[in-house]
Amino acid sequence: MNPRVRKRLWVIATYVVLSFFAFIYLVPFIRSFIASFMTWEQASAYPPQWIPNPFTLINYVKLFRLELFPRWILNTAIYAGIIVAGNIVLTSMAGYAFARLSFPGRDALFSALLALLMVPAFITLVPNYIIIYRLGLIDNILGLALLGIANVSSIFLMRQYFLSLPQEVFDAARLDGCGPVKAYFYIALPLAKPALGAVAVYQFLGAWNAFLGPLIFLRSPENFTLPVGLSFAFARTMWTEYTPIIAGSLVAAAPTILLFIVLNKYLIRGIAITAGKG
Amino acid sequence: MARVLLKNVTKRFGSVVAVDNVTLEVRDKEFMVLLGPSGCGKSTTLRLIAGLETPDEGEIWIGDRIVNEVDPTERNVAMVFQSYALYPHMTVYQNIEFPLKMARVPKHERHRRVIEVARFLGIEDLLNRYPRQLSGGQQQRVALARAIVREPEVFLLDEPLSNLDAKLRIRMRFELRKLLHDELKVTTIYVTHDQVEAMTMADRIAVMNRGRIQQVGSPREVFEKPQNLFVAGFIGVPPMNFLEGTLVEVEGKIKLDLGEYQIEVPSNYWSILKNHVGRTIVMGVRPQDVDISIKPVKGWYKAIIVGYEPLGTETYIHFTIDKKKDYIAIAKDVDTIRLGMEVYWHPNPNRLYFFDKNTGKALY
Repeated sequence: MNPRVRKRLWVIATYVVLSFFAFIYLVPFIRSFIASFMTWEQASAYPPQWIPNPFTLINYVKLFRLELFPRWILNTAIYAGIIVAGNIVLTSMAGYAFARLSFPGRDALFSALLALLMVPAFITLVPNYIIIYRLGLIDNILGLALLGIANVSSIFLMRQYFLSLPQEVFDAARLDGCGPVKAYFYIALPLAKPALGAVAVYQFLGAWNAFLGPLIFLRSPENFTLPVGLSFAFARTMWTEYTPIIAGSLVAAAPTILLFIVLNKYLIRGIAITAGKG
Repeated sequence: MARVLLKNVTKRFGSVVAVDNVTLEVRDKEFMVLLGPSGCGKSTTLRLIAGLETPDEGEIWIGDRIVNEVDPTERNVAMVFQSYALYPHMTVYQNIEFPLKMARVPKHERHRRVIEVARFLGIEDLLNRYPRQLSGGQQQRVALARAIVREPEVFLLDEPLSNLDAKLRIRMRFELRKLLHDELKVTTIYVTHDQVEAMTMADRIAVMNRGRIQQVGSPREVFEKPQNLFVAGFIGVPPMNFLEGTLVEVEGKIKLDLGEYQIEVPSNYWSILKNHVGRTIVMGVRPQDVDISIKPVKGWYKAIIVGYEPLGTETYIHFTIDKKKDYIAIAKDVDTIRLGMEVYWHPNPNRLYFFDKNTGKALY
């Protein structure tokens, strides 16, 4: 076979495989999108139907009729905002310290920190609950955000990124009059934009979609975040009305999808950073 | 302006002694080159002076104070790195301005000085560019500008030319020396492994090996009067030939017994060598000082050609005496040289070096 034909076939095969998996991943999303325009009866019918009949906006109407819907969006935004801001400030500082400063016990401390990655979140749930309870921050977005304000994998990512920056640049800064703090603000931080972008995106996605944490730490409906609020609003005693939740999820997903489109460059770079240096 | 003095400075990294009891004085306004193979401790020495490393033992003086405990920023030294270490996120202007900004120089003053230095180095057109948009030579100038703008007392350069292409390197070699030594008249310590750079730029060279200073002297001194085998072998291209043998006295003459044959030591060296008769001695002769002839000449020695490298103006001829070790001679006219040919050689009798085999020290 001539090499050009072979290359062509290879490309076609690659596309077929990729399209197949892309389709599999997209089906739930497509299904949600279609179902959000169906009545619950039709959406839950078996075998599944794919064309809304009757086409209805009732799910969106129900959603926007919810008095607390804007409040939940606001809560989620505040929660995600605190998480993102906290992670950017705190984990970049921690990562910088682990990468660029030398202090006694640094490597042991870092290993201990990494060990935290091995602890499943469920194990820390109860102790965390007790801590937040004692702090009087149950049912408070701040209390909830406090738990995720410095993420270990973010620290790891930042540290690896700072390690990858050339030592000579920091030496030069040292001679130009930068102590460790100035070097952080003038040199390290501006150079870390790609890593910061990756941290921001990951943390935003995590916070925006978080369900378990908000479900446990928040109590009053007016303090709920969107995912918890939606399931609360449409859960009946015996069954759950899923179509408005689906519509709500789509509305809730809109900002994250937008964010992904705008920032996917950073997201991919973030993956490359962790992959390349891990 | 300032002199720099290292007194018995030692620096260890774990069990590795990077700088071993180094004592070195760099005079005010002097251009000192630290020369040595990679890993010899020259860069560490420079970093010690800069304050990027702290010595385990010894004192470092800059001007009239000990700076061991002084922060790098307060030492009034500037450094140019091998990779230039420009700040990638800043424009050329901001790069040059940065040290002044950190020193809280007022803005209008900063502007004046940046422009002045940029003009001086001919980079005023580049001020709005980012380092990645510059060529190697331009980056090098920006790095220099950033160092000069602080008006430091001491200039430290760590292999600043090694990332440039050969042509540019030769030009910058000349320009750097002119700039730092003739125009700015700053005490300069320059680290390199390139002996041509060292020879052409230095007022004095400190040759280093394994963390120790082997010899300090003018380029002429280290070339013509090497103090030990290392310096003799390191300085000079191609390297000096070393012939190892036993000194013997035959019929009132001192000869070096190489096994294959004995080489007569010229009488001008007898006074130095007569106490070493019977010992193993290394005789050194530079390739420039070896004559080769294809016809037998009385008093010359036999050798076999094992290779030759024509360089245009001259040819390096590799020859062997015992078929084990080969030596190099430089010849001008070599049209008839062939591989495996038997030739005759002799060293220039006035340009020989003798070293004690055990200590490696030169015998003068």
